Amino acid sequence: MEREITLDNLRTMAQLAGLKLADEELQRLLAGVTRSKKQVAELRALIATESEPAATFNAADGK
Amino acid sequence: MSQNELCYLTITEAAAGLRRKEYSPVELTGALLKRIESLDDKLHCFITLTAELALRQAKQAEQELRSGKDRGPLHGIPIALKDLYMTEGIRTTCHSAVLENWVPNFTATTVAKLEDTGAILLGKLGMHEFAFGGPSVDAPFPAIRNPWNTAHIPGGSSSGSGAALAAGLCYGSLGSDTGGSIRTPSSHCGVVGIKPTYGRVSRHGVVPLSWSLDHAGPMARTVEDCAIILQTIAGYDAKDPASADAAVPNFRGEIGHGIKGTRIGVPRLGWFDENLGVDRQTETTFNRALERLEELGATITEIDGKPFSHARKANQTILVCEAYAYHEKRLQQTPEKFGSSVRRRMLEGAFLSAADYITAQRARAVLNEQIRANFTRVDVFATPSAPRPPEASQPWIPTSRIFVLASLTRSISQVYLPSPRPAGLLMRTYRWACRSARDRSMKPPRFGSPRPTSRRPSGTSRDRCCNRTPAVSESFPPNQRSNRINGRLTKARPSIYSDL
Repeated sequence: MEREITLDNLRTMAQLAGLKLADEELQRLLAGVTRSKKQVAELRALIATESEPAATFNAADGK
Repeated sequence: MSQNELCYLTITEAAAGLRRKEYSPVELTGALLKRIESLDDKLHCFITLTAELALRQAKQAEQELRSGKDRGPLHGIPIALKDLYMTEGIRTTCHSAVLENWVPNFTATTVAKLEDTGAILLGKLGMHEFAFGGPSVDAPFPAIRNPWNTAHIPGGSSSGSGAALAAGLCYGSLGSDTGGSIRTPSSHCGVVGIKPTYGRVSRHGVVPLSWSLDHAGPMARTVEDCAIILQTIAGYDAKDPASADAAVPNFRGEIGHGIKGTRIGVPRLGWFDENLGVDRQTETTFNRALERLEELGATITEIDGKPFSHARKANQTILVCEAYAYHEKRLQQTPEKFGSSVRRRMLEGAFLSAADYITAQRARAVLNEQIRANFTRVDVFATPSAPRPPEASQPWIPTSRIFVLASLTRSISQVYLPSPRPAGLLMRTYRWACRSARDRSMKPPRFGSPRPTSRRPSGTSRDRCCNRTPAVSESFPPNQRSNRINGRLTKARPSIYSDL
């Protein structure tokens, strides 16, 4: 179970990322970040241990 | 032929007329510039108009054609570019204050290829900011209006390309597509766009949004015109690390071979029936289209839509992470220069972890295989291009709405598949198979008008608009316009089949 992201979490992460964001803006971001984290959790359930990232994709490998 | 009839020619028709000397490149360019001057203050398609350059190029094309130097079907044809294609000496803004006065010192590979074939550059077109914001509310350039109804959005992010083509302000355009940015405005504006296979068209000199999802591609008013542009811009480019050294087929030459026997997969269950944004009218029209395709000899098979639905989620995660990574420094140093919409979307990426990003890329690989497995049973997938018709413009469209608008296109962006999009019906096929998909999308004989002449885009006045014989009755409102299918009239939205 993913831990829910809070405004405090966002504030700390923003500082660490070198972003100067007012609480008002962080508040607006909270819903989107929460949704994104939820989506990642859903995606995590789809992958097996041996699944490699698609970044190794070779565009020339045919269909 | 009137000036405005000139503006609504297809590239194919214009090229033929140039060779018959019915008009000259200078006359075509002049007609378009005049139309832009009279209409673009209502539509806001152009950020930068390169009138002098266009006329210079037109004169050169005229001389060359006269002297027998023929560079091909785009020679002397005026086109316009989404304003994220870098153009040496011409500002490239990405519709953003961040790059408001940026003048690149080199030209994108695709644009150079168009120049080499004698295409004429009319200017740079508006878009969603950095191809990721919504319609502009606080960018230095106004939001683009939909010519069919200026109160409605034209779709994005290649908004200016879709609107300019629908309004008869250019003959062809280059858009870009990361999650639906060619396909959505093509649908909303009733034109044609193609998101090619990843690696088919160079992205060198195209300002990135998301490296592993970005595609450059053509937009035009007919499938054949898109094929002409794609033929010109496709091919290996050593300057683009994702470019594929794959043979480029003769796209145009493959058109018209029929749809009989084509196996069409519809990923309805678990995908577009679960996206609440798909409205009843869209689905009804889509179902009618499938029936017509069956009548023409295709077979329709329902396939599992779940992988497509998950793929959309992977696309969103990858997109925000890569977009943030590209813009990180600017977001740290001058966040106020970004429009509020694009800033908020990009900043989501700051709060996702490296593990989140890699998870999405791992899921992408898994989903890619699951989706590709369908190609043992079907040749193409079909869905509506957008889950609903264009909605009214509003000062702020929430992120969730933007994602819904692209809900039927994002999945395909992330699995590298090509997606030729005949105005409302989205067809996707396996990698490098754009040729056969286009063939199939072309064959159902012209479902409707080859250009939006049956009803004038509302940004145009009667005396300024093309007066070609409408293919269908003008009595229907835009969302119920009739289209002629093999001589029979059926009702369909203009975004559905209006260009086949």
